[in-house]
Amino acid sequence: MSRRPRNRPPVDLAGTTDLPVLLPAADSLARRAARERELGAALPRLDWRHGLVLLAVLLVSAGVAQAQAGAGREPVLEVLLRWMPVLLRGFLFNIVISFLAMAVGTLIGTWLGLMQISLLPPVRVGSWFVTQFFRNAPWLVLLFYCMFLLPFEFRIGGLVIPFPDWIKATIGLSLPVLANVSEIVRGAVNSIPSGQWEASESLAFNRRQILWMIILPQCVKRMLPPWMNLYAILTMATVLASIVGVSEMMTQAGRVLAAEDRPDLLIPIYSFVLLCFFVYCYPIARWTVALERRFQVKL
Amino acid sequence: MNKLIRSAVLGTTAALALALVASVAPGTATATTLKEVKDKGTLVVGVKADYKPYGFLDSDGKIVGIEPTLAADVAKKLGVKLELVPVVSSNRMQFLEQGKIDLMIATMTDTPEREKVVEIVKPNYYSSGTNVMAPKKAKFKEWTDLKGVPVCGIQGAFYNRKTQEQFGADIVAFKGTAEALTALKQGRCVAFVYDDSFLISKLGDPEWADYDMPLKTIDDAPWGLAVAKGADKFAAFMSDMIKDWHKTGRILELETKYGVKNTPFALEMHEKYKGS
Repeated sequence: MSRRPRNRPPVDLAGTTDLPVLLPAADSLARRAARERELGAALPRLDWRHGLVLLAVLLVSAGVAQAQAGAGREPVLEVLLRWMPVLLRGFLFNIVISFLAMAVGTLIGTWLGLMQISLLPPVRVGSWFVTQFFRNAPWLVLLFYCMFLLPFEFRIGGLVIPFPDWIKATIGLSLPVLANVSEIVRGAVNSIPSGQWEASESLAFNRRQILWMIILPQCVKRMLPPWMNLYAILTMATVLASIVGVSEMMTQAGRVLAAEDRPDLLIPIYSFVLLCFFVYCYPIARWTVALERRFQVKL
Repeated sequence: MNKLIRSAVLGTTAALALALVASVAPGTATATTLKEVKDKGTLVVGVKADYKPYGFLDSDGKIVGIEPTLAADVAKKLGVKLELVPVVSSNRMQFLEQGKIDLMIATMTDTPEREKVVEIVKPNYYSSGTNVMAPKKAKFKEWTDLKGVPVCGIQGAFYNRKTQEQFGADIVAFKGTAEALTALKQGRCVAFVYDDSFLISKLGDPEWADYDMPLKTIDDAPWGLAVAKGADKFAAFMSDMIKDWHKTGRILELETKYGVKNTPFALEMHEKYKGS
């Protein structure tokens, strides 16, 4: 019985390395090294010194604000300390939203990605369409859609299930995430050398077994760095929820400024918001870099 | 193949459309009636959380201010618990329509367009006008002096458009008053157009000694608290509630408590209902 050809791009093995999938990374690393040699200095990468700069901005702006405010007013750092619980509770919201959106997006996105390599054209084209649709729509537009189209509660019979704003925001943010995860999965599966497919086929694995037992386990480590990058981007995008009225950190910062009614607090408070996001996202960025390095070829 | 692609695209579009319709359907909640509020045991009120002193955060994260206190009065009269939901200008009427909040007391100016969407309860509970705050040396005399001048405003305020279209000012809109005031101080705009009651309280501050409110207040417009369309009994109840606030001087008392000079509107309403 003859089988239909697999939907898989031809892999160009005519290279200098026996790891063709890693060529782009090796390329970009080489380019970066060349640029750095030309400049005679290392190009900046996000590192802990940026955190120190942010902290310094916070302290200096607090100092300047203090000098402007005059003696009669509460010191800026004291004000900041007093509002810290409110702001940090807002930040917790950002983290919860990012976690849930990432979980939902990953779960659905993985399936969507696998559907994109399906052998059935309608499934493949349908999932491709959904992926492209959500990947190319602005995040804020998707957020607005969810905010104003989803009801605030569901009634199933007599049971009323409330549906608060932050859950709607989570759903709204998980849409672009699932589309991006879908592309990450599709790309990773396609990046596995075709020899793996052929070898497992010759060992009489069927397609599902090949995918689950041979291809996907190899994909995990390739997907990890872009997936973590996506998470960091998502975390920083959660402040978009402030535009639709979710009480996350950015919203709370605006309310704190309104309550304090002191224009000199503007820079210190927003610096504090920046610092919180840096402290949270920086370790993730470091970890991603480390993982990327581990999975790359040595130059 | 082409046919297959077309059918797949069609299928997906249909599925998406269906999902949208399905999600909209349960959103058509009916107006909350007085009885429903009592049955629930909770009154959900939409208030501002970024508009001192009418509704703002205290450092415990609770919403306080003149309007939250009024909301508490309503809940107390009904004998139910109070739940405050922070709203912004762009979502407050939607929340009321959806039934997410039962009552809205959120510094909303009473306009005929808004009366078509929500039930604005009469008499009005408060009022404010529009004015600008500018450096004394700018020497504005008429509103038309603002022509071609950059003027700071707050996003979503209804008088931005009027200032722009009628008087020819270039509106630069900001998220909150802190941002707008900073811009005014830095000279990115020459004037700040906002509610006069806020500007009066601001000008009392020695920090703003070089600024004044040179123009005549315009658009002295009443504020309306609102319930959903069709909630007639609830509206009638709220109407009595407002009359009572004016009668007892509750609004004047709250203005004093939160450091606002008694407004002419509140004084006048107190005079009017005192005898009744």
